[in-house]
Amino acid sequence: MTGKTIVELKNINVIIDDLQILKNISFELETGKFYTMLGPSGSGKTTILKVIAGFSQPTSGEVFFNGKKINQLPPNKRKINTIFQDYALFPNLNLFENVAFGLRLQHKHNSEISDRVSQILDLVQLNGLEKRSVEELSGGQRQRVAIARSLVLNPKMLLLDEPLSALDAKLRKKMQYELRNLQQRLGITFLFITHDQEEALAMSDFIFVINNGEILQSGTPVDIYDEPINHFVADFIGQSNIIDGTMVRDFVVKFVGKTFECSDAGMRHNEPVEVVLRPEDLDITEVKKGKLTVKVKSQIFRGDYYEIIAYDEDHNKWLIQSTNPVKDGAIVGINFDPEDIHVMRFGEKEQEFDARLETYED
Amino acid sequence: MSKFKNGFFLFFIFLILYLPIFYLVYYSFSSGNNIAKFENFSWQHYLNLFADRRLIGIVLNTILIALISATIATTIGTFGAIYLNDLTRPWAKNLTLTLNNILIVSPDVIIGASFLILYSAIKLHLGFWSVLISHIAFSVPIVVLMVLPKLKELTHSYIDAAYDLGASSQQVLTRVILPFISSGIFSGFFMALTYSLDDFAVTFFVTGNGFSTLSVEIYAMARRGISLEINALTGIIFFVISIAMVFYYFVLQRNKKQKRIN
Repeated sequence: MTGKTIVELKNINVIIDDLQILKNISFELETGKFYTMLGPSGSGKTTILKVIAGFSQPTSGEVFFNGKKINQLPPNKRKINTIFQDYALFPNLNLFENVAFGLRLQHKHNSEISDRVSQILDLVQLNGLEKRSVEELSGGQRQRVAIARSLVLNPKMLLLDEPLSALDAKLRKKMQYELRNLQQRLGITFLFITHDQEEALAMSDFIFVINNGEILQSGTPVDIYDEPINHFVADFIGQSNIIDGTMVRDFVVKFVGKTFECSDAGMRHNEPVEVVLRPEDLDITEVKKGKLTVKVKSQIFRGDYYEIIAYDEDHNKWLIQSTNPVKDGAIVGINFDPEDIHVMRFGEKEQEFDARLETYED
Repeated sequence: MSKFKNGFFLFFIFLILYLPIFYLVYYSFSSGNNIAKFENFSWQHYLNLFADRRLIGIVLNTILIALISATIATTIGTFGAIYLNDLTRPWAKNLTLTLNNILIVSPDVIIGASFLILYSAIKLHLGFWSVLISHIAFSVPIVVLMVLPKLKELTHSYIDAAYDLGASSQQVLTRVILPFISSGIFSGFFMALTYSLDDFAVTFFVTGNGFSTLSVEIYAMARRGISLEINALTGIIFFVISIAMVFYYFVLQRNKKQKRIN
């Protein structure tokens, strides 16, 4: 990593009512990047946001902002702003006053306030709606007001707590582009919280996958998608076929009773492992040419591809994406390349995983 | 058919409730001295009423007590409700709320009698102050109850958002919490005002030294023998309240319209 660190968490633990919400969380965020905290509900991702924003105090551990420890700094003194899941726009104020809220607190002159507000409303394309009450705005407009209300204060960092979850699918896609665009133009750090893996993959520079208060894996979207560290991450991000197997030796793995060449190494001989094959990496072919033989159970048309469910002789379920349909009940071969096989060890931690990769990858 | 029945039922209820009032007001215009027979139309009782300096003083006392007690009770009750809403332990919250509600449902006679005992114990002279303190005391729980639902509607993210945008805790209170719950505060104030104007039982116990409020005075006048002055007073109060209600209705309509325009 090269950029300047803006926020650093060191060994953060949060315990509420004897319940460990966060377990020894440490990470650094650099300026100007789009980070995503991805995890199922109840995983602790929102608590991380609250610790950074200052709404929650960590039970132990340190929070740094621009190199200074800010554990004791209240949220109103932090140069970090939050976009809340329900936007929390003040219902007694109109759009303009909502955006001007923070500036009014700073007792800025009216002329400065109206300049800065109109500038920011231009940016989020809400000019002309200043007098509207927040109840009259659509979901997408409210979202933009919430963003404008924070951006007008020139924050160094923006925390976004599942801001797209209340929008319909089409608008959500549109706002994904808008948010990413906005972040790139302004160059400020975004920390985006979501449970939607598609959102995370589409928008982020860097993803943290979190579950049960622990960061399981962090990396670029491509890294995490192609090389998930364990069953949970593989299953949570994208669709996958996860099959029990044995690592015969380096670059050779055995599953469904057959041995295959693969691109993973650094494990014990004959170590039990899990093998991940992404459905889009599997190609349907003739039985003779296939590495595996499966029987088609059912298929669903998904628009740009057919999602096929098939079973092999050992009754393992296989999910396959194919551009062409097959006959239900047909027996077909499936083919894949050695690089498509990803081998996961049981209980391997991120550091061990990274260290192992170092040993055989250049 | 059932709509017609319901309408008739409502009409009947209103008739029963309003008829005695109209009957009372009707006789205030009689030149006679009792309600046995309507003699001639006359403003005599109204003139007597306005000449009665003592009675006008009592009316002013009543209004003064109501305004002061409602204002103080609203202030205490609002902050009490905010405190109660912020309690994190469920048992503490429930206990406080139950203690609050007991004061509302317990009979006025008991509250009045217990205040009387308290004032005798601390040797407070009965009069303006004892009445004012009692009225504040029984109004506070009502205000708490009116403000609390609005506070429950105020989700915590509003408060977090205000802090996040740089507000101090005082600014969060004045710029977010109080505006948000203002309708609850206003209804609490008007409820307290009504309860204070209305109260007979508590005031009856704790008043003394010639200090009196309207309800206590009317009770005393009624006991001395019916004077049509009471009828005239009833007429005026009824008239003022009717005007106030019509005015309130128009204010409400205007606010609604304004909201739609903005």
